[in-house]
Amino acid sequence: MAEPATDFTLDTAQVLAEEEHGASIVGRSPWYLAWRRLRRNYIAFIALFVFVVIAVACSLAPIYAHHIAHTAPNATHTEDIVNGKQVLSAPVIGTDAQGNVVVEKAGGVLGPTWWHAHGRFVLGADGLGRDVAVRLLYGGLNSLKIGIGSALICVMVAVLLALLAGFYGGWVDWIITRSFDLIWAFPVLLLAIALGSALSINGFHHFGISISPHSLWIPTLVISYVYVPYVGRPLRGQILSLREKEFIEAAIGQGASPLRIMFSDLLPNVASTALVFFTLIIANNILTEAGLSFLGAGVQPPNPSWGTVIQEGQERIISAPWLTLAPGIAIVLTVLSLNIFGDGLRDALDPRAKVRVEH
Amino acid sequence: MRSRQGLIRLLSVLALMAGLALMTAAYAVSANRPQSPVAHTKSVGTFRAVIDTIDYLDTSQAYTAQSLWALWTVYETLVTYRHVAGAAGYQVVPGLASLPKISRGGKVYTLTLRKGLKYSNGKPIRAADFKCTMKRDFLTASPGVGFYDTIVGAKKFETSLKGDIGGIKTKGRTIRITLTSPRGDFLTILAEPFAALVPCGTANQDLSANPPPASGPYKIGPNPDKNRGFSLVRNKYFKPTKYIPRGTPNRVDVTIVGDADAAVQRVISGQADYTNAAIPPERIGTVSNRGQLRLRKSANTYYFWMNTRVYPFNKLKVRQAVNMAIDRSALVKAVWGGLGVTTENILPPTYPSYRKLTLYKRNVAKARQLINQAGAKGADVTVWGRQVSDSQQSTTLYASYLSAIGLKTTLKFLPRSTYYTTIGNSDTKAQTGWARWLEDYPHPLDWFDVLLNGRNIVHENNNNFAYYSNAKTNRLIDGLKKPPALTPAVNKRWANVEKLIMQQAPWAPWSNRTFPEFFSKNMGCISIQRLYGIDFMKVCRK
Repeated sequence: MAEPATDFTLDTAQVLAEEEHGASIVGRSPWYLAWRRLRRNYIAFIALFVFVVIAVACSLAPIYAHHIAHTAPNATHTEDIVNGKQVLSAPVIGTDAQGNVVVEKAGGVLGPTWWHAHGRFVLGADGLGRDVAVRLLYGGLNSLKIGIGSALICVMVAVLLALLAGFYGGWVDWIITRSFDLIWAFPVLLLAIALGSALSINGFHHFGISISPHSLWIPTLVISYVYVPYVGRPLRGQILSLREKEFIEAAIGQGASPLRIMFSDLLPNVASTALVFFTLIIANNILTEAGLSFLGAGVQPPNPSWGTVIQEGQERIISAPWLTLAPGIAIVLTVLSLNIFGDGLRDALDPRAKVRVEH
Repeated sequence: MRSRQGLIRLLSVLALMAGLALMTAAYAVSANRPQSPVAHTKSVGTFRAVIDTIDYLDTSQAYTAQSLWALWTVYETLVTYRHVAGAAGYQVVPGLASLPKISRGGKVYTLTLRKGLKYSNGKPIRAADFKCTMKRDFLTASPGVGFYDTIVGAKKFETSLKGDIGGIKTKGRTIRITLTSPRGDFLTILAEPFAALVPCGTANQDLSANPPPASGPYKIGPNPDKNRGFSLVRNKYFKPTKYIPRGTPNRVDVTIVGDADAAVQRVISGQADYTNAAIPPERIGTVSNRGQLRLRKSANTYYFWMNTRVYPFNKLKVRQAVNMAIDRSALVKAVWGGLGVTTENILPPTYPSYRKLTLYKRNVAKARQLINQAGAKGADVTVWGRQVSDSQQSTTLYASYLSAIGLKTTLKFLPRSTYYTTIGNSDTKAQTGWARWLEDYPHPLDWFDVLLNGRNIVHENNNNFAYYSNAKTNRLIDGLKKPPALTPAVNKRWANVEKLIMQQAPWAPWSNRTFPEFFSKNMGCISIQRLYGIDFMKVCRK
């Protein structure tokens, strides 16, 4: 008996749907579908909102400093008097008949004035009489610049290396993966401290490139360098798998150039993973920057960053806890919001993906 | 019979007289005995100290205030300092030997060891041990060898590490030291712990874990650990002298606790009797009434140096402007919460040569004017500091003062381990930065000759960070090396040298720091020796 002939074509589903419901099925791009999924994730949106608020506030640091606080981030006001209180006061110390110290009047730094001093010292003063709120905003600006900048560089370099390694394979792949292994062999923070400390002394002056030790480029490049393998390796794995797919073989068969295959065929397929990595690694980089700056291997004083502000306030953690609490809360909020948003983005772009920044 | 009774009566009278005489003698002896500070106090037993850190327990290597404080009571030097508070603590007195006879215009020092001296292992202390001690200092690359290189043959021995130091001759109990040139501070140098005697044959290496036998009132107890703690126990072979007491505690337990809060808490809770923890100034109020807080004025000067060979600090007006621009009071307040005094002097006020200088009254407008006159407005200046809290704070403030007078500053902080070697290397050409000097021994030469005599500038490990060299002051310092005693006339000459130097402003001195010392409430007889700090050999319990 002969096989009955079918009328099914590639458009059958659309035709049937039109007949049944009188409506057509509109083609949706993966990005649109991801946006639809993300839209339903309110927690991710709240996190994004928090991050945007922090980023905008930090971006407005110069305006706040100039027009509201009337100071600069590194300006010291040891002798100023605000609301009848000295910004920095030493204890008045005397001695009794036995030579024992008697504190006649306690000293310390000016605490938060909130808004009672027309915007001056809203979050109090640090040990050198500098406005903590101003330093916090400028510090946030520096931390975000480094966090976002290093994440951008890190992901771009990692994607490029992963494309090269995954597409060409062979000795190219061997060299790139061994380079990743080499960096991976060092604990990430130790490597960053070592590089940061070395470069923060004299800067980088090689190969025609000159970077001063005080430049934010030093922590930015150090952080992006140490995280490249953590992004590059999973991406390389994805590209290796994509490289064996039929559409790549078809492209090769059609005579497409390697560059075209890498950037037109492979890159769009790993873009969503790269994007998720980007958001997650910003948070990671901000934390690393804070750690490096706290240890003196990141942003160099007197330039503020959240890490240096914590470091400067740690000695007064009992008597003036706001000096460490304010930048600490800022870091927690930023990192938490980025992580929550990153998780939401990952779920939206590829619900099956298991993208994590692990080290 | 009568004669027998008479004899008995006579003997009774004699016995009575003898008894009375004995009682009188006993009373006289007790009356003449020096009053003990613990006469009306409880026995000290064990004195428990908590300190923040210690570098070595070996006199050839020890070079921090903490180690010198502990080892001063363990290893005696030929001459030493008095165990008293105040200015008298600077007086050099006989130690293991008598005070030297100085001859040949200050070039030969002859000392005689006391009779019957023994180390804590029971072996005799010999004059030859002094030469062995000196040689050991050189062989272990002791940080103190520079003090002794004026001894004839010492420099040659330092280079070759072989042969003999010809300038040290010993015979019986006599030690004869010959110097290449007179050195007025040599007596104080002999009192340095680097010169504390250890027996010949002591290993030429750091013996902190197994210290050499002691010659002082105490010896280091078994199993010392410089990272955790150690104890000092009585040296049974030590005989007290007029100047070196026996010490009131039977034992001293020293624990190393790096965290200041934890150290203070130990004293408050009664687990310790004393700590030298750096109490944050704002906590002094809460701490002071939970124990006994004393302030120790040690001889130190904190200053900013300006490299006189490098632009813009090669211009006198710029250096003077910096001295006028810095706010010394604000620095003391911000960095130490007021626990210090402001200064424009090189020498600390504890020195008899000190004469208060007031050359640079704060005047920012005048300072700016001087900078403009020098053509240095907008000059790039890198300000160097050390990665320790007080240095970072003071350097940051210093940079803000330089910016305020029109200099363009960049801060550069180096790790504490490499800071001094980096700025002390002439290739670095460091412009200006932070430094401090704590006295090695109480003599102006320890300041002017080491820090500001242009003839002592070296390529590496240089201490003259300002690279200051002035023919006149160099000559004056060299001239003042010779007088062996700090007479009022000599002190006046030193004061003149200081003024001449500060008129050239190679430094901007800003403070002499005072240190808080915290005792438990039950401690009494607290005495602060000017050079070595808390003298635990005199403490008592209330």
